[in-house]
Amino acid sequence: MDPAQERAIEKLLEKVEKPARYTGGEMNTQVRPWNEAEMHFAFCFADTYEIGMSYLGMKILVSLINSLPYMSCERVFMPWVDFRAGLKEKQIPLFSLESRKGLNEFDVIGFSLQYEMSYTNILDMLDLGHVPVRAADRGENDPLVFAGGPCACNPEPLAAFFDAFQIGDGEEMMVEFLDTLHACRKEGLSRSETLMRLAQIEGVYVPRFYEPSYHADGTLSAFTRTDERAPETVRRRILKDFSNAFYPDTFPVPYTDIVFDRIVLEIMRGCTRGCRFCQAGMIYRPVRERSMDRIIELAEKLEAATGYEEMSLSSLSSGDYSCLKELIVALMDRFQEKRVSVSLPSMRVDNLVKQSLEELSRVHKSGLTVAVEAGTQRLRDVINKGVTEEDVLRSVTDAFDSGYSTVKLYFMTGLPTETDEDLRGIGDLARKVVSAYYSIPKERRAKGLRVTCSASVFVPKPFTPFQWAAQDSIGTVMEKQSHLRDYLKMKGVTFNWHDPSLSFLEACISRGDRRVGEVIYTAWRDGCILDGWSEHFKYDVWLKAFEKCGLDTAFYANRERPYDELLPWAFIDMGVTQRYLQLENERAKKAQTTKDCRKGCNGCGLQRYEGLCNV
Amino acid sequence: MKIWLTMEKGARIRFTGHLDLMRTMQRALRRSGLPVRYSQGFNPHMLLNAAAPLSLGMPGLREIIEVPVGEEITPEAFQERLNAALPPDLRCRAARALPDEHAAPMALLRAARYLMDLDEEQQASAACVAALPGMLAADTLPAVRKTKTGEKPCDVRPMIYEAQAMGPHTVCATLALCEAGTLKPDLFLSVLAGLAGVDKPDAFVTRLQLYAMQDGALIRLEES
Repeated sequence: MDPAQERAIEKLLEKVEKPARYTGGEMNTQVRPWNEAEMHFAFCFADTYEIGMSYLGMKILVSLINSLPYMSCERVFMPWVDFRAGLKEKQIPLFSLESRKGLNEFDVIGFSLQYEMSYTNILDMLDLGHVPVRAADRGENDPLVFAGGPCACNPEPLAAFFDAFQIGDGEEMMVEFLDTLHACRKEGLSRSETLMRLAQIEGVYVPRFYEPSYHADGTLSAFTRTDERAPETVRRRILKDFSNAFYPDTFPVPYTDIVFDRIVLEIMRGCTRGCRFCQAGMIYRPVRERSMDRIIELAEKLEAATGYEEMSLSSLSSGDYSCLKELIVALMDRFQEKRVSVSLPSMRVDNLVKQSLEELSRVHKSGLTVAVEAGTQRLRDVINKGVTEEDVLRSVTDAFDSGYSTVKLYFMTGLPTETDEDLRGIGDLARKVVSAYYSIPKERRAKGLRVTCSASVFVPKPFTPFQWAAQDSIGTVMEKQSHLRDYLKMKGVTFNWHDPSLSFLEACISRGDRRVGEVIYTAWRDGCILDGWSEHFKYDVWLKAFEKCGLDTAFYANRERPYDELLPWAFIDMGVTQRYLQLENERAKKAQTTKDCRKGCNGCGLQRYEGLCNV
Repeated sequence: MKIWLTMEKGARIRFTGHLDLMRTMQRALRRSGLPVRYSQGFNPHMLLNAAAPLSLGMPGLREIIEVPVGEEITPEAFQERLNAALPPDLRCRAARALPDEHAAPMALLRAARYLMDLDEEQQASAACVAALPGMLAADTLPAVRKTKTGEKPCDVRPMIYEAQAMGPHTVCATLALCEAGTLKPDLFLSVLAGLAGVDKPDAFVTRLQLYAMQDGALIRLEES
């Protein structure tokens, strides 16, 4: 930045909401001086500072990249509308927090894809950073722009905007990717040759080397390589040695409030439960545990480096960690004196709840959240959510008995095969939870019962058994929500529901093909940004964007896809096979459950690769 | 025993609010492992005592924060260990050991000195600097102070200890800062702009020094 721009930024900061979002300098975020790094990486998160700084993957990767001797990695977040307007007016490029360099000054720009409804922010950040939005418009001297994260498992809607994608675990792939890029730079390779070299790395997808074609009805007819040197199938990168994989021993400590302001210890990756709606449960397989010794070592280092008073154990299903109780006791013993509390989100109700609650309440007491997902046993069997009504009632009764009075129940509406009976089931379950509270003697239970029932809208996702399913139309969802409102009218119970139009667009994009990229571009150009923030969500502009591009929303969201249709993400081998997903979908239709695979292999496909899955 | 810290809050973190800054100090003290005393009771917390919160957007060069400690420790060791645990834009410039009976910094605080860099691109800035001698020559300076309960007329002249031009667009002033009456740099500039007959210019204000009163004269707060 030149001095005039610096002055303009300072003036702008005086006028905007939460200026500390843009100033950096937090504890443990110091990077090597700009001129001392050979390559510069801008790690972008397509949402605000408070959201992005709460995301563990970013902490892991930023720290990892900065550990490479030739690299420097700085952070860039989506600015809020007020700051964004100021940047545009003064023609200041969107800049990094550490060195205040414009995005266009970096060699590599990496985005983390967490949520479909943040995609317009990606386009906006590139544009604000004075970087050409489309990969095809970027020249030899422009930054290389790529993405990773869970949504990269269907990269096609964003294929036009990224030079490359990283699919799968990043810890090893990122190092290989940057080492390769570094070598290509030294050899003076062209952009295209560099990308071909990167495409050879397991997990890396370079869209320019592939081309889709379509049938007259709009479905995909073929997905072919334009250069035979690119791999035919892109295989997801899977980290084998999870225990010893890179994990930061310091965390940045923000000055201002962020959403999750605490130490996060990822104790396990992957999940063996096999809930059929859950993308994370499928795409992070196999389950891998971090050793207890390693977790404790990291906990001690992180506590010393941050001064945080809270640590949370993170995974998709922490109750499945094989020595959870020993781990919690060991952490508590070590940190109680330092007044550090340990919290445990993502607990399923079908294992050791009471014991864990009692251990935890030695330091910290919060509410209980139970993901029930569906209102009847039949529908829970359809989605393979191995939780019974008894499990739920036992765990809430235990919680009420140990002094809790706040319980949150999470449900989904619009699941395949759902009927009114299933919706009534949600009401019945809420009523039983209320009775469970009153079954505890008055002098033992805490005052002020609060049962919150939240119903999200089911969004079918790629690489799940429901990837072929039709999403309910918005009209149907609204009707179901209105019935649910009636069924949940009772004292002590509050009902929250999601905006169905947002979930509808999420469904259109998450299973979209390359053509959906034009819709995203059009929506963004017509003013859509920060779509995940209800005050900025412009549903009508999105619908018009589909119209302008000649695409039908129902084709993407509300149509059941036949098994023989070529899916836009079929060229990716995620580990779990399409054959297995199909088998699971058929079992769902018959309400047949599939056992937790630690009780015996179900043949999901991970064991095709030697040494990957040891379940 | 307690320690008075003279802290510098750098320009980069000037938008960190007072509560966030106190939390930052607490976390730094935790990282340092220094023997800080906690409150008794159900929810023990560190008993940090700042002389005066800084306004959002204002750096401070010599802010005073009092920390009660549980074990004897030299101020030099305290300063060194704290600095090793602080982020780069928050520094401990000095430390001083005091007995618990010593008054709290807030109780001794009377005034503060501010550096006001007026926007050199605005014409009002030079006019304000030129109006400074007239301001100091006035016997009374009526103004309207905005408080939580409404707008109150007041005379700000007795709350100006001294003021001088430091350059064509820069003013330095020592203004009252205590329970009995506070004159914020913002109101000072409004009054000055009123006298100059211009709109108040944008200003970048830094708090340079805090003062206590001894024998009718201002002395540095850290020495009181």
